[in-house]
Amino acid sequence: MTISDDARDLDLLFAEARRSSPELPDDLAVRILTDAEAVRLERARPAVPANRGLFHGLYGALGGWQGLGGLVAASVAGVWVGFSAPSFLPDPASYFVSQDASYMVADLGLEPTFLEELE
Amino acid sequence: MEDLTSSAQTFRGDRVAAEDLSDEQLLRLFADGDAAAARVLTDRLGPRCFSVALRMLNNRAEAEDVTQEAMMRLWKVAPDWVPGQARISTWLYRVTLNLCIDQRRRKSADPLDGTPEPQDDSAGVVERMQQKARLDALNVALAQLPERQRQAVVLRHIEELSNPEIAEIMRISVEAVESLVARGKRALAAILSGRREELGYDDFR
Repeated sequence: MTISDDARDLDLLFAEARRSSPELPDDLAVRILTDAEAVRLERARPAVPANRGLFHGLYGALGGWQGLGGLVAASVAGVWVGFSAPSFLPDPASYFVSQDASYMVADLGLEPTFLEELE
Repeated sequence: MEDLTSSAQTFRGDRVAAEDLSDEQLLRLFADGDAAAARVLTDRLGPRCFSVALRMLNNRAEAEDVTQEAMMRLWKVAPDWVPGQARISTWLYRVTLNLCIDQRRRKSADPLDGTPEPQDDSAGVVERMQQKARLDALNVALAQLPERQRQAVVLRHIEELSNPEIAEIMRISVEAVESLVARGKRALAAILSGRREELGYDDFR
């Protein structure tokens, strides 16, 4: 057998292979077009990432889950102290409700005569 | 899928115009939200991907997966495609070949993953069908070539691409393509020459 015979056989074989090139299977075409449609729809929905972006921005600004966790713990502690203050803490509200001026000045450790002098 | 069908129907009235558009124009249309452009691109490029993948992998299921993935990458790259940077078919051939290499590596790493198509001559009824036998023989012979020779021969002689385009796809020089094709063909001829009678070339000629 000569080299040119081999070459010609190979060319015939290639030609035959080209003629019998596979069609795109229908179910594969459907899979490809389904992907295309998913990508197209995903791209056509800018509103969804925008909304998510707002919450994400806030979430990020507060320090993610650690930040939010700290914030929640501090809030709960504040509410607890408000309802049930430990006895050693003064009640600051009493300074602002139904107290007269002399009592306030006496608290500062000044003699009532000081007030008379002022008058 | 409903949406897809309806937009394809609206396109069908203008089928000739759609077929006249370049791959790049169609990809632009798709990036702008035209579902029917995807259909034309799939008709046009899908078979080429599949054909190359099938020749490279010799396994139908794997070739289908590679084709789907290559086309998926095309859909994803659509909005970022820079006009004139390369031909879309060139880019897609390269993506397909690289996916085929990945697939073969995965398979050799895990021998239980994926069973090759039976290429044995003991394939029963098919055995007597000489055309089928010849094409199987070609696939088996191709599978024995080194990866790069196989790529070059498939692109040159099955896909009938020009040497400069193959050079671009494979990112090598035109001379290197010519050399790979020549060596590949010599190796194929050597593999097949022992099966001359069996392949029935004398009848075929």
